[in-house]
Amino acid sequence: MTGPGATSLTARLLGRPAPLTARAGSRRRSPVIERVAVAVVLFVVLIAIIGPWLAPQDPYLVNLPDSLQPPSMAHWFGTDVNGRDILSRVLTGARTTLSATFIVLAVTTAIGILIGTAAALAGRVADEILMRVCDVGLALPPIVLALGLAAALGPSLTSAVIAMIATWWPGYARLVRTVVTETRDAEFVEGARMLGVGRARLIFRHILPNSLNIMYVQVTLDVAAVMLVISGLSFVGVGAQVPSAEWGAMIAAAANNVQNGWWALLFPGLAIALTAVAFNIAGDWLRVRTDPTLRGR
Amino acid sequence: MSLLRISDLRVSYPGPSGPVEVLHGLDLDVEAGARVALVGESGSGKSVAARAILRLDTDAALAGSIRLSGTELTGLPAKRLRAVRGSGAGLVFQDPLAALNPVRTIGWQIMQPLVIRGVRRSEARRRGIELLGRLGVRDAGHRFDDYPHEFSGGMRQRAVIAIAVIAEPKLLIADEPTTALDVRVQAQVLELLSGLADERHMAVLLITHDLGIVASFAESVVVLRHGRVVERGLTDDIYYRPAHPYTRGLLGAVPRIDADPSVRLATVPPGTAAADAGPGDDPGQPEMPGEKQNETESP
Repeated sequence: MTGPGATSLTARLLGRPAPLTARAGSRRRSPVIERVAVAVVLFVVLIAIIGPWLAPQDPYLVNLPDSLQPPSMAHWFGTDVNGRDILSRVLTGARTTLSATFIVLAVTTAIGILIGTAAALAGRVADEILMRVCDVGLALPPIVLALGLAAALGPSLTSAVIAMIATWWPGYARLVRTVVTETRDAEFVEGARMLGVGRARLIFRHILPNSLNIMYVQVTLDVAAVMLVISGLSFVGVGAQVPSAEWGAMIAAAANNVQNGWWALLFPGLAIALTAVAFNIAGDWLRVRTDPTLRGR
Repeated sequence: MSLLRISDLRVSYPGPSGPVEVLHGLDLDVEAGARVALVGESGSGKSVAARAILRLDTDAALAGSIRLSGTELTGLPAKRLRAVRGSGAGLVFQDPLAALNPVRTIGWQIMQPLVIRGVRRSEARRRGIELLGRLGVRDAGHRFDDYPHEFSGGMRQRAVIAIAVIAEPKLLIADEPTTALDVRVQAQVLELLSGLADERHMAVLLITHDLGIVASFAESVVVLRHGRVVERGLTDDIYYRPAHPYTRGLLGAVPRIDADPSVRLATVPPGTAAADAGPGDDPGQPEMPGEKQNETESP
């Protein structure tokens, strides 16, 4: 039996270069799926940047006579219950959804690396304190915190993003702490210390480059998860507010009318699914590319 | 004056019920350019001694004195210790793959000891390639930018040696440098180490359990067991006239190609009073002061 897995395994076995030609192998063509995924990621990012100008119609223009029109030449993705053009809303919403996701991931990654590295390297007392703070962060569900923040700051996408940041970083801090603790005790780190390498160089040239590989994978996997939680926050009303074109909010609104207009649910859903899958595959490819021991395989 | 003079070195590590002493007063002198072997079985404390010299273990408590080129290393502040590491003494590890940073090129790592001492990159690169070539890596100029996983085991150990010696230390501590290599490569690596030590007038402290490699390499031998020196002397004396029963046991346990295959290989039997000079009942070492009598071993 030959499934797709078997085929790719065979291809890998046959295609793996001998050790001596490993460097030439690193310039081998990357497999098709990974290329497509990277292309999709770039495409989605491009849409997030120029989408609002590509939108054929005003994404916020309510046109009740055109309510819930199926996909047609006039409205490729159909219209929603308020008669707004879904294609325009998906294109405009890319920026909202992706920028919120990226801000959350960028900030939490930075905090996670900082706190995790500090916990692993700054001694037992600092480790205890920082990890207990992480426990507190992990104990708070994002939606509860977002509801609290929404009460304090007013419900908005900003509140949702802040709430996400506050609840998302402890996971990264724990992950970074674990891998840095492991790398810290590696023999090559001891070796570098024995050569008189200073603390800063030890951390930034030896420990972190050998620890953060796993973060590429984790963060790209989390693109999908964060996108969905932000959408969920919009769904319960503490995230993006009603008229704004945000993919999750669009799905939430369309879910009430799915029997009358599946397209209003399908297209923003497809946008989320496609983006999530593409980021996952691209993330795995990135990990392989950045790990010299996996290069050329 | 000796290059390295260790006197009454005691090393203890924190244990569940207070510190546990694992090295009970080591005295060791290494003259400039000399080759000394520190020999013992697993757990004898030989690696602990090696690691203590460069203060590798931050949680180890040291007592006694370690003087390298006249500088007292015990209690030396971290900043001055950094200056000693690499240029005063280099360390070669047992497992060359683990000792190399997997995400940096071999060349980057060889250049590092020079780069952090302010040597220009182009100069560091030139010297690195030259040294790697000297250590028998063919086409060193091209292999310089390879990653560790692209090197074979023997080449990795050459790279590790290059890293340890590029800053021209006066003392090289080699902790089981050939254990992870096959026999043929072992001989090559030892020969290279030997040649390099002669060229640079570099002293080598070889730490090993393998008596086979000691004979051809070291001038003098210190035999360690359970954290104590049981015998020391010139290599020939130790090999032909071992005084301590433990040393005799160790030598008898080395497999020989000319031995009668029907005779069982000798082992060092645990628990026999003569051979097993455990901590606390060491009949062969009357000069050990302050021995504790609390650890008695049943025969």
